[in-house]
Order: sequence, then C-alpha cells, then structure tokens
Amino acid sequence: MNQHLTIEDVQRIADGESQPADHVRDCVQCANAILDALQMKRAVRDVMRTERAPASLLRRVRRQPPATSWFAAAAAIAAIVIGSAMLFRQQSPSALVELADMHVTLLASANPVDVLSTDRHTVKPWFEGRVPFAVPVPELASTPFRLIGGRVVYWRGNQAAYMLIGKNAHRISLFVFREDFGPKRLGAAPAAVSTLTWQRGGLTFIAIGDVAEADLVELRDAFAEY
Amino acid sequence: MEDRERASFEELALPLLDSLYRYAQWLTRDRTEAEDLVQEAYLKGIRGFESFVAGSNIRAWMFRIVRNTFLTSRTGLRAVPPLSVDEQPELVDQIADEATPESHFLQRANAQALRRAIEELPVEFREVLLLCDAEGMSYKEIAETLSIPMGTVTSRLLRARQKIRKALAHEER
Repeated sequence: MNQHLTIEDVQRIADGESQPADHVRDCVQCANAILDALQMKRAVRDVMRTERAPASLLRRVRRQPPATSWFAAAAAIAAIVIGSAMLFRQQSPSALVELADMHVTLLASANPVDVLSTDRHTVKPWFEGRVPFAVPVPELASTPFRLIGGRVVYWRGNQAAYMLIGKNAHRISLFVFREDFGPKRLGAAPAAVSTLTWQRGGLTFIAIGDVAEADLVELRDAFAEY
Repeated sequence: MEDRERASFEELALPLLDSLYRYAQWLTRDRTEAEDLVQEAYLKGIRGFESFVAGSNIRAWMFRIVRNTFLTSRTGLRAVPPLSVDEQPELVDQIADEATPESHFLQRANAQALRRAIEELPVEFREVLLLCDAEGMSYKEIAETLSIPMGTVTSRLLRARQKIRKALAHEER
C-alpha cells in the first residue's frame, strides 16, 4: 500500500486497534502522524488521570446500607411520614412528630447507628460516658426483636440514647431520655408510624416504628423485665 | 444482600473507585457532585449486583451506572444537548505529503491549555477520550460502556482530538 494513511487509520494504530501497515516503514509523514497521535494520547492521559478519589469518598462508599427490604420499606414510608409530619408541623410542633422525623431520617441515613452490634454487652457500655445516665439494654434473644445498634441523638438540645431495633423487616427507633430532659408534652402523634411512650427508672422511653402498636407494647415489656 | 455478596461486590468494584471518580469529575466538572455521583453509583451497584453476570465486564458495568446516573441528574440533563453530536460528516482525510503546521505542536502545548481544551469539549467527546486515553479501554469496551456502535466510538474520538488540536493551535497564535 503506497497511499498515505487516513487520519482514522493513524488513530486506530495509535489506539492499538490496528497494526501499522508496511507503508509506515517507508513513509516519514505517516510515521510522524502516528508519533504525534501517540504523544497526544500520552498528554491527554496525563491531564485526565491526575485526580484520585478522596479518602472520605471511600468511607462513604463502604458505608452504603445493604439492599435489604427494610431499607426500601423505610424509603417508601419516608415520603408519607415526612408529608404527614409537615402537615402536623404547620398546625403545632409535636415532640412525637419531630422524633418520627428523626426516625425516618436515621433509617434513610447511610450510617443510622454509631455502634453496630447485636450484643447488649457491646452497646450498653458504649453509651457509658456518652449520655448522663445508665442505658438499660435488655437481652432480646428470647423475643422477636433484635438489637441492631445505637448512637447518641439530640432533641431540642437534650441528649438521648438511641437504639435501633429490628423485628423481621421492620425497624423500631427507641429514644431514651432522662425523665427531666425528655419531652414534657408529646403532642399529636404522626399518622404513618406507631409510637409508644413509657417511663421507668427515671427515664422516658419513646418507641417509634412502622409496626403494629402491639409490637411496641411487647418491646416495652421486654425492657420492663430487664 | 448477604455479606458474602457484598464482599464480592466490593472486591470487584472498589478497585475502580479512582477511575470512576475521575470519570464522574470529568462528566460533572465539580468535585462535590462527582463524589455524590460515585456514591450513588456504588449504591445502585450494590442493589443491582444480583443482575450482574459473573465473569462479565464489571468495569464497563460500573462506568455505565455512573453515566446513567449522571444523565438523569440535573447537571447531566443540562450537559447533554438534545441533538446528537454524531450528526457530522466522517473524517477520511489522508495524511498530507508535507508536514502540517499542527504536527508535533502538542510537545509545546502546556498541560493547562490542554486541560482547558478538554474541558471545553462536549461531554460525549470528553468521556470517550477519557475512556480511551486515561482508562485505556478498547473501542469495543467503550462501545459496551456507552451503549453506542464501534463506528461512533471511532468518529467521536476523531472529532474530540481534532477539536483539541484546533483549540491548542488557536491558543498558540
């Protein structure tokens, strides 16, 4: 082949998609064109490959929640709860609605708990020094519930211990306040989730979840036996 | 998803993090948006991992997720014009007998000017250039990633490089 290469031929050779034709061995112009294309590729690569993913992104990606049905369920109820919460808020602020908002927000978060453990012997000591009271964490093995983990949350400037508890595909948020720092008036209950509040040992417990109220009563009993 | 499946997804997909982040950054041209885009892509990847055929190309699969996520984002909808950039005549020019004034100008072009020229490319050209030159993908893999014919890969690369050469030549004057 004595004809010069086309620009497309040059590109394909530089990109490793085809082999140079014999013509290139004897043709300075075509050889130069390939060299030029290779130089350009290298320059483009150097410019486009400078950045690396920040370490924070690796952490974010690793913390992605698993694709379990509860997550989808939480996402599905989020719109309903937030919608109804906003409706309530327009009328009067309600402690229960605010906590229900927090429940939904935490479930939708990539990192709903800071201590991820089903073991009460891990979660209970984790709260020590983080909240100004001893947090009761009962053994749930003989109940339909299971502990998922915990974290510290703030409601209107007051610390609360937060425990995420599972029942099948459902999730229950349990907020534990020191009685004198917890909500004095609970206000209207959110429409889309069940809530149950009880007091025990100088603490206020508020359970919120997309479960039947009877389930929350059962959970309360599990805590009462502790 | 079981822990085992998640672990195998991470084993395959996490080594691609730098590449996917760079791709997201060149698509969005914004670091924060790029990070959000990649995070969302990994979340979609985890959720859709069951549909991934073991042994097939995870790189093309993850790049495609990043791209599709970008295209449906606000920035993506703005960045991609409704008219295709491919509706242009094919380039069949032959190498001229005399050396062209453009040859070897890249040796003199500085990296900043080149970066500017790449940034000014339409997103379809920018991404094909990144996949080919920065990621070293074959035309076949690029075609698979972008769901376009191989011929379109070739012509987009030609046009992208031609535009860069023109921009740099213009800058030199």
